[in-house]
Amino acid sequence: MPRLYTFLKYFFVVLWACFVIAPFLWAISTSFKDFNSVTGGATYIPWLQFEPTLDGWSVLFKPGSQGGINIIGPYFNSIFVTLTASLISIVLGTLAAYALSRYTFKAGIVKNNDITFFFISQRIMPPVVLSIPFFIFLSSLGLLDSLAGLILVYIVLLMPIAVWIMVDFFNRVPREIDETALIDGCNPFQAFFKVVLPNSVPGMLVAGLFCIIFGWIDFFFAFILTFTKVQLLPVKIVALNSSITPWWSLSAAALVSVAPLIIVAFIVERYLSKGNLSGALK
Amino acid sequence: MAKIILDNIAHTYEPNANNPIFALKEMSLSWADGGRYALLGPSGCGKTTMLNIMSGLVRPSHGKVFFDEREVTSMITEDRNIAQVFQFPVIYGTMTVYENLAFPLKCRQFPEDQIERKVREVAEILNLQDYLSNRAKGLTADQKQLISLGRGLVREDVAAILMDEPLTVIDPDLKFRLRRKLKEINDKYKTTLIYVTHDQNEAMTFADNIIVMDQGEVVQAGSPKDLFERPQTTFVGYFIGSPAMNLYKCSASSQNEISIGAKAFKVKTNINSNSDNLKLGIRSEYITVESEHSDNSLEADVIEVEDFGNYKLITASFDSLKIKAKVKRELDIPSEKVILKLPAEHCCIYENNKLI
Repeated sequence: MPRLYTFLKYFFVVLWACFVIAPFLWAISTSFKDFNSVTGGATYIPWLQFEPTLDGWSVLFKPGSQGGINIIGPYFNSIFVTLTASLISIVLGTLAAYALSRYTFKAGIVKNNDITFFFISQRIMPPVVLSIPFFIFLSSLGLLDSLAGLILVYIVLLMPIAVWIMVDFFNRVPREIDETALIDGCNPFQAFFKVVLPNSVPGMLVAGLFCIIFGWIDFFFAFILTFTKVQLLPVKIVALNSSITPWWSLSAAALVSVAPLIIVAFIVERYLSKGNLSGALK
Repeated sequence: MAKIILDNIAHTYEPNANNPIFALKEMSLSWADGGRYALLGPSGCGKTTMLNIMSGLVRPSHGKVFFDEREVTSMITEDRNIAQVFQFPVIYGTMTVYENLAFPLKCRQFPEDQIERKVREVAEILNLQDYLSNRAKGLTADQKQLISLGRGLVREDVAAILMDEPLTVIDPDLKFRLRRKLKEINDKYKTTLIYVTHDQNEAMTFADNIIVMDQGEVVQAGSPKDLFERPQTTFVGYFIGSPAMNLYKCSASSQNEISIGAKAFKVKTNINSNSDNLKLGIRSEYITVESEHSDNSLEADVIEVEDFGNYKLITASFDSLKIKAKVKRELDIPSEKVILKLPAEHCCIYENNKLI
């Protein structure tokens, strides 16, 4: 029985791994094909079944005048907007979450849990509901089609994630650690910055990972709130599409755009284990 | 260091409720400078609330707290200069053991050389000197608790060290040594130690003064001997001592005599009450096994004799009452009937559960 169990376990793990890796292999092979190789039936092995070409990749880096889309500018825009908005969201979200976890707020019938829910509720609404208010809001501030405007909107979208994760994290951190710091002679701010915060790095990294993912993949708001001056990667990639779908350059673009997330995920992965999230202090 | 006075303190965690439940009912209590106290009581009796009021983590709903002449009721924790150790180890996981121990001194901006001297001294007391450069996170639970304890000990000038069941996670042998260490520290530095526990042995062996609490009230404060010999309430009699005090419903037959059912017993207490809620209490340690009947003796059926190595515990029944007697191990106990004597001088009489 245990042998069968082990066999089944590994069988499903391998199956799952193939399921996850297959699209990447498919995209990698497609990105090196040209029109004929893509339309001429399924082929997998370069040089043997099809002649690899860099056409798909070169389109991404050529300027528009040479028929390319030049994703370098939008790529760095995306990195800048995502990182800045994530960072600000984590800082504000952590502070808000700590307050919500440790202090009791009461305004009429509104209590801590309602405030937490208010944050999360921002993510419940379909994005299209927010599009017109955001558009009017940014246009009245003169921030349409600007990096600052996008960062502002992304903070609104990402902070609920940070608050949600961090409230849960702080709730699992025993109150005694704050109290001990107070007894040891810290004021509440020192207790937070010297003791609680250094111990909360795993939680913040996890919250950061989610913020980065959600910020990085957003197409909708980047599409609506920018025009020509500022463009983000997802919008630029979609612009690749034409009457004949260029699978080769779309595949290359997909790989380029997913790479940063894979790198971030590898860095944060070790903090995702349960032990690091719960009882990080005891 | 200071004398701590709790003046008409009471606390409820639901101040806005119509009929708030008081975790701590109104009481006044003072803790002498340099004393060694144990706060003893079952879980949920208000011990921790009382500690938190002293350390300033909880502000009492009523009453005032004084350190010597100075009122500190509304003073924040960090200004009170008090040390508190919690039941479960609280360590600063990102710091080394040395940094953990130095933290209270660093926060108070002590000079570096003084910090180093004090940290090494405390580390030696707690056998942590080999771990000073290790990360605190990787240590065992009892080592972590030693760090918590150490952070309380590095400051010599604290008003008191409050310990909330600090040795729960520590293994018995080390527990014993640590209790002795704490006593030594108290003798050496004259630091007031207040030790919360629900383990009576821990309280008895550690403290000069024991404060017994129940349901938010102090039911008795006194030396271990007082608590053992003259429990002020049936609760104390029941809670302190192992086995618990023998307690029987009784009625007064004359001023110095009570009766349990048809059997009369002489007592030293002057009973002037006709209350129908009288109880006789006697410690199992004071009940003796006799070979023939005399005053205050009774014949009981032996139910069980347990050998605990250093003593024997007899469980016997008399008129459907269970009597427990702790006797010397060498004593031969008859297997069926035994004559037990309840010495008059050790009989405590309780009216409405309070000692007369």
